[in-house]
Amino acid sequence: MATGYAPSSMYRSREGMGVWEHRGKVAAVGVGHSPTERRWDEKPETSVGAWSIMALRNAIADAGIAPDQVDGIVIVPETTTGAFWPDDKPLPQDVIEAFVQTNDPLDGIAKLSVDWLLKNMPELTNINYSVYAPVCMSNALNVAAQVVGDGLAHTVLVLKAWHNLQGRYYQGGQNAQDAIGGTSAMRSLWGAPACYGTALQFAEYCRKYGKDHNMMTPFIINSRRNGLMFPEGYWAQHRPEELTPEDYQLARWIAKPANLFDNDIPIMCAASYLFTTAERAKDMKQKPVYVLNHADSDAVPRGLTPTLDEVESECALTGRKIYEGAGITAADLSFENMYDGFTQFHQFHLEGLGYRGIEIGDALDFYQTDISIEGPNPVSPSGGNIGSGRSRFWMHTDSIQQLQGRAGGRQITGVNAEIGVSGGPMPLGGNYTVWSATPD
Amino acid sequence: MAILISFDIDGTMEIGDPPGAVTLEMVKTARARGIITGSCSDRPMSAQRALWEEYDVEYDFVCYKHLLSDLKTQFEAEEYYHVGDRDDLDRKYAIKAGFGFFWPDEAAANPLLL
Repeated sequence: MATGYAPSSMYRSREGMGVWEHRGKVAAVGVGHSPTERRWDEKPETSVGAWSIMALRNAIADAGIAPDQVDGIVIVPETTTGAFWPDDKPLPQDVIEAFVQTNDPLDGIAKLSVDWLLKNMPELTNINYSVYAPVCMSNALNVAAQVVGDGLAHTVLVLKAWHNLQGRYYQGGQNAQDAIGGTSAMRSLWGAPACYGTALQFAEYCRKYGKDHNMMTPFIINSRRNGLMFPEGYWAQHRPEELTPEDYQLARWIAKPANLFDNDIPIMCAASYLFTTAERAKDMKQKPVYVLNHADSDAVPRGLTPTLDEVESECALTGRKIYEGAGITAADLSFENMYDGFTQFHQFHLEGLGYRGIEIGDALDFYQTDISIEGPNPVSPSGGNIGSGRSRFWMHTDSIQQLQGRAGGRQITGVNAEIGVSGGPMPLGGNYTVWSATPD
Repeated sequence: MAILISFDIDGTMEIGDPPGAVTLEMVKTARARGIITGSCSDRPMSAQRALWEEYDVEYDFVCYKHLLSDLKTQFEAEEYYHVGDRDDLDRKYAIKAGFGFFWPDEAAANPLLL
């Protein structure tokens, strides 16, 4: 079975498309996670392939179905956090031989294919539709929702996994070469850290609205607090450290005004969700969480990095697309789980949503109010990447679990969990899902 | 003669992630000799304190790497050293702050810690 990338027609990228034609007819039921680890220890059982299989099996079990009931799979084939297998490093033959192989020796180690997964999950006997989504779980969820809605498959596994190798990340790949090709040559010319573009936007944001970096502090502390109540997450599993204002405000700049704790920590992990039709979901083990809409931002900046104006404009457009397709307004949101892996994305997303009525320039003041899970205005109850490490999927797991009433210590209590939104990553270039406890 | 030694944690100390060559016993040995010790890491300062307390090792300070120069103003000593595993963070900030610098394996073999 040849697997290709999802066509652009699967995404809801434009304003004016109306209510999503499959609103409330697709549901997430099962959630499956692997453990987390800071870096791979190069053992077969902790490889990105092994953990992907574990996450997929956990999602199937969580949904309470047999593997042969699954007929579709959507995965993100890229697994790197920025770490690439070094050209001069011998291939890990023992790991390769521990699995059924494809013709790519790094399949299951530093990348993933549907072919590799199906070879190593013989219990998936009825897969007749598979498709790749680029980059993120957020994208794969959009695709999976459309796959089920369009009837291309009725019960679909969605997967995103991340590998992180020994050594420093962002030091390999094209960064280790003498020359950089394509447009990356323009962006990477000055060796700026990954967060510099967002830091520039945030600097302009602070200048324009009279805010400062310290105003991010409540968001950071809230995010880590929520993350420490996420048993699937890295910080909860390995280093249950809360952050204090001193910890955050004195940390070194990575790209001023973005400091160390405005950046997420790269980790190894995998997560999977089981999507199905609303009809089939009724008979499964967990409470269905209905998809009201999915939306895509495919904007391209005019320059090397987006300006604040472009960010604000695109986030507002994304917010309108989210609400239009879901047939809701900002007032219907119980909570939001927008992306945070750089923290300074989050206020742009919040303002684009108009969450709790905030407007452009209001988010940092909003952070000074009660944004906890116990309050009336929960912000990022998942804790996001800041709370649990770089996965870009905690926000989705949390949204599903909140609406299923099984978010444990993170369960929001200040408002009833009825409708939530999650997605990201970039203000220009992201994918969003609107979730609901009921189909209508 | 007062001496201050600052230890990075990850990649430097045995309790770091990844573990490094400097053991807690070495730190205790230095302290028994009257050396001023503590950590200077990218880990949150509250977490650095918690780590020393978890392993029941006394400390005089916790600090962030880029604040080594501030540390120098807080403690009167004749010699200041930082031990770390990163050229671009540990060694750079140590030199900038006027500290002597040891790589972890050098420190682990240094008579100050043995």
